[in-house]
Amino acid sequence: MSDLQKKWAKAKLSSAMAATATVFNEADEDTLMSDVPTDTTSATVAGGAGGFPFPTATSRKNLSVSTTAAGGGIGFGGSIPEQDDDSSSASSMSSTGTVIPSPGRALFARPMGPSGGRSLDPIPWTTYFERELFLTTPPSTSSENGTETEQITHHAYLTSPVGPKGPLFVTHHGAGSSGLSFAVLSSEIRKRLPTAGILSIDARGHGSTTTTGGTPGPVDLSLSTLSTDLFNVIQATKTAMHWPELPPIILVGHSLGGAVVTDLAHSGRLSSTPGNSFLGYAVLDVVEGSAMDALQSMQTYLSTRPTGFGSLKDGIEWHVRSRTVKNAVSARTSVPALLVDTSSSQDKEDEKGNIANGSNKSSSRPWRWRTDLAATQPFWEDWFVGLSKKFLEAKGGKLLLLAGTDRLDTELTIGQMQGKYALQVFPEAGHFIHEDLPEKTANVLVDFYRRNDRSSLVLPPKVSELLAQGKRV
Amino acid sequence: MVVRKQKICGDIHGQFHDLMELFRVGGDVPDTNYLFMGDFVDRGFYSLESFLLLLCLKVRYPDRMTLIRGNHESRQITTVYGFYDECLRKYGSANVWRYCCDIFDYLALGAIVLGASNTLSPGNDPTTLPAEEDTEIEVCNADGHVMSRFRRQGGRINLIRETQTISPKGAPSSSPPVNGTSSSPSGSAPPAVGAPTNTGPPGSGASGSSGGSVGNPAGAVLCVHGGLSPLIDMVDKIRLLDRKQEVPHEGAMCDLLWSDPDEIDGWGLSPRGAGFLFGADIVKVFNHKNDLSLIARAHQLVMEGFKEMFDASIVTVWSAPNYCYRCGNVAALLELSEDDSGLGIFARSNGDVNRSDGGMGQGAPPRGVLMESDLARKGGGPARRYRVFQAAPQDSRGMPAKKPVADYFL
Repeated sequence: MSDLQKKWAKAKLSSAMAATATVFNEADEDTLMSDVPTDTTSATVAGGAGGFPFPTATSRKNLSVSTTAAGGGIGFGGSIPEQDDDSSSASSMSSTGTVIPSPGRALFARPMGPSGGRSLDPIPWTTYFERELFLTTPPSTSSENGTETEQITHHAYLTSPVGPKGPLFVTHHGAGSSGLSFAVLSSEIRKRLPTAGILSIDARGHGSTTTTGGTPGPVDLSLSTLSTDLFNVIQATKTAMHWPELPPIILVGHSLGGAVVTDLAHSGRLSSTPGNSFLGYAVLDVVEGSAMDALQSMQTYLSTRPTGFGSLKDGIEWHVRSRTVKNAVSARTSVPALLVDTSSSQDKEDEKGNIANGSNKSSSRPWRWRTDLAATQPFWEDWFVGLSKKFLEAKGGKLLLLAGTDRLDTELTIGQMQGKYALQVFPEAGHFIHEDLPEKTANVLVDFYRRNDRSSLVLPPKVSELLAQGKRV
Repeated sequence: MVVRKQKICGDIHGQFHDLMELFRVGGDVPDTNYLFMGDFVDRGFYSLESFLLLLCLKVRYPDRMTLIRGNHESRQITTVYGFYDECLRKYGSANVWRYCCDIFDYLALGAIVLGASNTLSPGNDPTTLPAEEDTEIEVCNADGHVMSRFRRQGGRINLIRETQTISPKGAPSSSPPVNGTSSSPSGSAPPAVGAPTNTGPPGSGASGSSGGSVGNPAGAVLCVHGGLSPLIDMVDKIRLLDRKQEVPHEGAMCDLLWSDPDEIDGWGLSPRGAGFLFGADIVKVFNHKNDLSLIARAHQLVMEGFKEMFDASIVTVWSAPNYCYRCGNVAALLELSEDDSGLGIFARSNGDVNRSDGGMGQGAPPRGVLMESDLARKGGGPARRYRVFQAAPQDSRGMPAKKPVADYFL
């Protein structure tokens, strides 16, 4: 990087900081900037920008909330290699809301190597999100069993909405995935709607959400628990971020997450919170009928997955090569959160034991799945039974995004032809629609928000109102 | 667009065998005039055959076939919902699809039927007594047997919902003898047709209801695929649209193809993601302003084949039985009778200039001039006969195998 470039970036950075102060009402602007987490591999940072001097951040500690902030300003090594050039650090840049991307913004977006060589290095979450939250909800409000003090620390990624009207997309991933599944999508949404915020949570048993205490054994992944979790996380985020009230919310759920957001929307809990903040919900590639059909072959499918990988890179490569995730950038972002290195810790007995085909080469393949999907089987039916009915009944805008029209079951086919919800189909995508086609998915979601944004909705006058005004009709 | 004695049909969706069933029930072309309200393609497995047949009939009998455009007659929608794939599968290239899409751009956005009579012409059921003079609505099954009739009363609103079933075999009226019940999916018989009630939410398929109309008796019927648009308050404004284009994402043309009526006041946001919802007040004001007695539209699946709403000022007609080969619904077509006087005809079509008879019948009035029939109207809308029919027997079609279930669904 030339001196000139450095100077330019520094100037931008300071202007971004200044802008931040004017835009945010938060008490802690300083957390917007932070150092790069130590595990960030410099390889993901383009053109030597990894060495860019960042102001050190104060990591914010509350009673139960700790916030780690990622680079919220321009110039962070947010260049995502092999994305198109203008994508550079859009997510982070727009968090300030006022910095206008200059023509030179592609400065940091230089692809890593020769264009032919596809990198499979992990991309850190800091590229996409402003901060991560560790939210400790009040110990197990569930009264279902007497076991007390099940302490769960929810982990979520957040990019705050800008201004009082900026919407918040709350995303819930599918089984075996993680909050980073929506990372690339989040930056695409921000590109199209700079005021938007994204809250992407790790469900219990997934990602960096941890549970301590409580009963040992399989994690409680029943639909009602997950739906309550999601509601609690949204409330806890509001508290942690000192929002006076919840921003307008669009729920987005993929697969299992689709069932969770539908359940939450159906319960009406969000609509009953002050501010009437719930606008609508989007469900990505899950339909009751076809999901139930697929469950029968699910164990077979799971048994064909590798049980472990030699390295993170191997894991990413498998996802891309097997077309599980077709978009390499998405795979590099989301896969690292799916795997856990078991080589250092020996207390992962159950993980090894539960996975079929236990060829036990754990020494050579230390990276194991973080979530044991096969063990979640008892919950599978519970997730999807009644989904179509709930989807059609719940209030709010409804969007169903599918990877193929043949996924629709009879109930939703009738509902669609009666015009009860919006349907979008991306036949070229795989199951992970939002990872395969983040740009298109973002387009659809932003359009969906714009349509359902009540603050800007102007409808033609009603006849009764015209009559009341004494006009002839 | 003007023709009399129309049979108005709704969505077909590539169900070719059911289209043949429709012609069997409704009568052959050219003996019968047909008006199809769009959505010929997608979802079914014979979109191409269905559309090309209709197109051929249109070419052969231009004044006896009317095709208007549906929201599925668009490049974007057909690439997703099957028509594109079907063309590719059958021809190995997308050219046929491309040409069809070019034709879609020329389809009309709406049509007006004039000269509909207040009295039903005799049905084709020889065993049935001729319809009485004051019958407004008659519901028939596929064989032409009358399933129920609704009589017109002097007072327009106080209709006696008399159900008069005349069955040649003495079958009880509560279970109408529907043709081909054995081959139809279970539970698809229309139980509500014989005893209509006012319905629940639109599109819920709660019943095929007919309440008699309080509309303008002029007899003009507007046919459009979806519904009204807030940008169009007069029918003539539809003519001003440049329709020779792909269906846009918003605007008047989009609304005409996408909107739905709903039990609301005024306009509402459509959950479909395009178009609007519109309430009874909008329809009544529009009908009054434009001297319409009825709006006929398609676009929404109704389990009983047809559904009249808002005091019969708008009707949804659905002509794809057992939609997607699994929804278990019946289909219907709407039959409007000809006004014997031969008046009430006028030409407002844009494209009829060089046609042999100008698209007009005898005594053609000057173009563009509305010639109102000054017959004393009996009140109420045009007489309407609905023919309800079911899916063609399963064995007459080769069903492509269902695709295997998805690999990964958690």
